[in-house]
Amino acid sequence: MIRNLPLRIAAAAVVLVLLLVGVVLRENGARAAGREVLLPMEAVDPRDLLTGHYVALRLSQQLALSQPCPRERTTFESGDWIGLKPAQGHYRFVGVGKTRQAALSGGAELAVRGGVYCSRTAFGDAEADVVTLDIGVDRFHADQDEAQAIEKALRERRQGEAPAFAVVSVGEDGRARLKGVIVGGKRTDLTWW
Amino acid sequence: MGEGPADGEAEARMASYKARLTKDLDEWIAAGLVPAAHRGAILDRVSDGRRIDASAALAVIGGLLLGAAAIAFVAANWGAIPRLPRFGLMVGLFLAMAGGGAWAARVGRPLLSNTLLAVAALVYAAAIGLTGQIFDIAGDPQRALRSAGLAAALLTIAGRSSAAGVVALALFGFGEFAGRFDGGESRWLIFAAPVGMGLAWLWNSKPLAHASALALIVGLVAAIAQFERWGATSLLASAAVLALLAGRARQLGERRTALIFLLWFVWGALVFYGVAGFDEFKGGALIAHRAAWLIISGAVIALGMHDRQGMVTAAGVVSMIAAVCTILFDLGLGLMTAAGLFAVCALIALIAGGLTRRRIKA
Repeated sequence: MIRNLPLRIAAAAVVLVLLLVGVVLRENGARAAGREVLLPMEAVDPRDLLTGHYVALRLSQQLALSQPCPRERTTFESGDWIGLKPAQGHYRFVGVGKTRQAALSGGAELAVRGGVYCSRTAFGDAEADVVTLDIGVDRFHADQDEAQAIEKALRERRQGEAPAFAVVSVGEDGRARLKGVIVGGKRTDLTWW
Repeated sequence: MGEGPADGEAEARMASYKARLTKDLDEWIAAGLVPAAHRGAILDRVSDGRRIDASAALAVIGGLLLGAAAIAFVAANWGAIPRLPRFGLMVGLFLAMAGGGAWAARVGRPLLSNTLLAVAALVYAAAIGLTGQIFDIAGDPQRALRSAGLAAALLTIAGRSSAAGVVALALFGFGEFAGRFDGGESRWLIFAAPVGMGLAWLWNSKPLAHASALALIVGLVAAIAQFERWGATSLLASAAVLALLAGRARQLGERRTALIFLLWFVWGALVFYGVAGFDEFKGGALIAHRAAWLIISGAVIALGMHDRQGMVTAAGVVSMIAAVCTILFDLGLGLMTAAGLFAVCALIALIAGGLTRRRIKA
């Protein structure tokens, strides 16, 4: 038997735990330091998969008639940038680009890493383009009761009621990190507890 | 497993050797070659293989059930447990497994240490996923799987754990398939597999030898998928690499790990060679591929029979059947002709199987 084997195993275990704790602390630090942005959202459904209960989020926005919707579908993994600008208390989609500068060039104030896809949706008698943002934030983990309550509130929202928002933090690296959600005017933040 | 140089393997061999010796001894006594009075003394010189007693088996089963009960309890109350204690639970479970592995290594229980470190590697992989869920940290599944694979690799090296090595290779393997498989992604398994093979050789570990040889084949597939435009060329090159490795493994002799490598590489080389000829070859190149396929298959059958390696012979027979079927398909023969040729192939396979079995018995 190798004499220092137990010591080596213990050292490896400690290193791995420190790495995991480091990731959590770094992510929380980046979340706290980033610029807070509100993005309109829809809930898809709460699921009970291996990862537990969560509300699946879709960050969709209806575009103005004059605003072009990018025809090419891009994803968060493709490494593109999305330009956003503030309007009416939240952030609106401006355009998409291969670089941060390209995303900011169309009058955007903030650039976030991600991709978009467009869909044509009927609103009463009229149709409009809806852009969905893929910024790597697609779920909000919560316990079962909380997840179902949020999902129910989102589904029962009537027209004219306060819209729902995902509260995200956009860091210096351009990555979006979820901070919480606002549904029915009530904000639910991610906490240590 | 990392039982030290051939400990477990030697014991298993010893047990089967004793059974064979008992049978032979009885025949020699009946033939008057050995005095019956020496039977007991001769058999006493050969030890029985290691056996797990009932109490140890029950303790292991009890431990596993206790673990399952604890996991079920935590899962049932997962939502009710605050985030930080949830994270603490996972870290605690990982430390308990790794600590158990360290303790087992200290008291000279290599098998237990090996197993606990593999469980620790799996718990850490789960911890990476659950940490993302607990703190809503968005992440790339491929990166998560590769990070878990690296953690398992660290435990493999630190704890000399072949079982953790198998976990590491499996995680790297899943990492290759997570996300887009055929695009310009990076490849890890093709580099991890040779390291695993080296460790399997050093530690004389059968499970790691199987896992790393398979990982090399899967790694080659992943690498080929990345450079799709090379098509048949890369498949033929992979077949050649595996054939060379099989030749090298054969040269290394009777060592069990070398035989395991030989078997996997022969099968892998034949599969790559066969698949290489499905799409791109036309005319003379196609005929050359098919002819070489038949010759190679025949050579592998001969090699398997010469070396008394049943699985090598089986690979050659299966390859021969696949080659004949492919040629039939190329020729566009009628169903009756095909049925007749399939029957002939089946007969060849049965005869080869019978001969191999007779040789093994002899």
